Amino acid sequence: MSGQVRRIVVVGGGIGGVSTCAALRSGGYDGALTLIDEGEYPYDRPPLSKRFLGASGGFPLIALRPDAWYDDQRITLLTNSRVAGLLPGEASVRLADGGVIGADRVVLATGGRAARPPIPGADGPRVHVLRTVNDAIRLRASLGPGVRLLVVGAGLIGAEVTSTAVELGCEVCLVDPDARPLAGAVGDRLAGWLHDQHAARGMTVLREAVAYLRDTGRTVLAGLTGGSREFDAVVLGTGMTPAAELAETAGLEVSGGIIVDQGQVTSSPAVLAVGDPARPRLPDGRLGRRAEHWEAAQHDALRAAATILGAPQPAATAPWFWTDRYGRHVEVVGSMADAGEIVFRGAAGDGPFAAFGLRGPQIVSAVAVDQPLAVRAARRLIDRHAEVDRGLLADPAVDLRRLSRRPRIPQDETAVPQESGWGS
Amino acid sequence: MSPAIRVAPVEDIAEGEGLKVDRSVTGTADHIAVLRDDDGEFYALDDTCTHEEASLAEGWIENGQVECPLHAARFCLRTGAALCLPATRHIRRHQVEVRDGEIWLLPDMAPVP
Ligand SMILES: Cc1cc2nc3c(=O)[nH]c(=O)nc-3n(C[C@H](O)[C@H](O)[C@H](O)COP(=O)(O)OP(=O)(O)OC[C@H]3O[C@@H](n4cnc5c(N)ncnc54)[C@H](O)[C@@H]3O)c2cc1C
Ligand code: FES
Repeated sequence: MSGQVRRIVVVGGGIGGVSTCAALRSGGYDGALTLIDEGEYPYDRPPLSKRFLGASGGFPLIALRPDAWYDDQRITLLTNSRVAGLLPGEASVRLADGGVIGADRVVLATGGRAARPPIPGADGPRVHVLRTVNDAIRLRASLGPGVRLLVVGAGLIGAEVTSTAVELGCEVCLVDPDARPLAGAVGDRLAGWLHDQHAARGMTVLREAVAYLRDTGRTVLAGLTGGSREFDAVVLGTGMTPAAELAETAGLEVSGGIIVDQGQVTSSPAVLAVGDPARPRLPDGRLGRRAEHWEAAQHDALRAAATILGAPQPAATAPWFWTDRYGRHVEVVGSMADAGEIVFRGAAGDGPFAAFGLRGPQIVSAVAVDQPLAVRAARRLIDRHAEVDRGLLADPAVDLRRLSRRPRIPQDETAVPQESGWGS
Repeated sequence: MSPAIRVAPVEDIAEGEGLKVDRSVTGTADHIAVLRDDDGEFYALDDTCTHEEASLAEGWIENGQVECPLHAARFCLRTGAALCLPATRHIRRHQVEVRDGEIWLLPDMAPVP
């Protein structure tokens, strides 16, 4: 297959698109490679709710790659260019300015957009979302000491924004109708513990839905139980909408994301999709979840490149993501919702701890707070379907690195479906 | 090259483990991570990941690479090359030797570019 592929266009310069380009080149592809992004420069998103939001500065801080890399890799980088259409029947793209770029393969790495819930006033001038660098710069300008900030949604982004805003001196009110946001990813108990961190740091945490947001010209009135409350700014952390329009308009299969097979190929053989907008069809034919995490987009990119180059697919590995709040580094591998039993190593509290999810004798997931080695050891054990001894896992005196290097029990490779994303 | 610094007896750093040597001891701009690969070989790199702030001595060491404990960038133990995102910059490498059962570090004192 690789023999005929001489022109590849990648649409979207986020972690998925940039990683696709890198994987194609390191896999030996030497044909034309064009990366198109509607933004100013390919950058990394995770810092937008963390370091970038809390600091000053622009692109150099969060550039995915230095400028020279694109030249070194012979990538034609077209920034400030929006792809307006996929040409049906062929793998070419039409730019918003009318130009057409011909290709043998197109990789859609278009990410997604912050969703705005159907709350009246959710599109008001003091209501923010956080997906792009411009969103972050705009939000940053309205945060500061004494600012009354309402954060709607206590998922990953809402929680991180809350934590950063508190560091900046804001008075934050966090509302979510769910008592345990993230339970799907980390399990009920840890979701409860994570959510409690907000109140423990003095945040107002309300368990309800916002009825309306009304801009007064200087502030926003939020409709909450018992009346309205006044805020200086509002952030919506209420989910992500996959950018699937190009695929949809071109008649590709789209259902809650761009449907891809295990090699990232869409319903059109010349078009692949990676990262946040891609929704996998599992080997048994069911549709999986969109991963919506940073590393998952990289793995998609590796698979897409392998498919295009006709190379063997990389080994499957349990999904992993991290999130930071209040100076604590939280990592999750696998899905705690898949676990029948949870084994703690250390108690959930101020010090480092980890929790492992077990199904029968096997470890299927882990969550670690300030304990990176626990999660790395767990990931290796999960990937090789190892049977583990609960007592050893729970014992803080046991070095998990050594445990994870014990002899392996070979089995088939079953991907663990992922829960809960960065939209929320 | 500065004079060699004695770090520890070999058995103090197990396979797959690292030890951070403070810059007050090494005289270098950054602390130095002495890292022992799972095959028993010793390597030394600057301790602070080139992405954000994390100690590579606390990383996962395996197969000629160290994985950063924060966002999992990997560096080559032998060359210091950044092998994957989010790190894009190589990390400085230092010489390390084993003499009579002791680990000795020879820090690279060249000015930071
Ligand atoms: C604030 C925030 C914090 C996060 N923190 C973490 C974290 O701590 N850990 C973690 O694991 N994950 C985190 N994530 C999730 C992670 O960033 C995403 O999963 C990842 O960015 C997905 O990469 P992607 O390449 O699929 O999409 P994106 O990063 O969204 O990139 C898509 C790119 O495509 C471009 N594009 C779209 N349509 C077009 C078009 N028609 N023409 C041209 N260009 C187009 C867009 O401009 C964009 O640059 C976070 C996300 C956000 C928003
Ligand atoms: S600090 Fe090392 S990868 Fe981010």
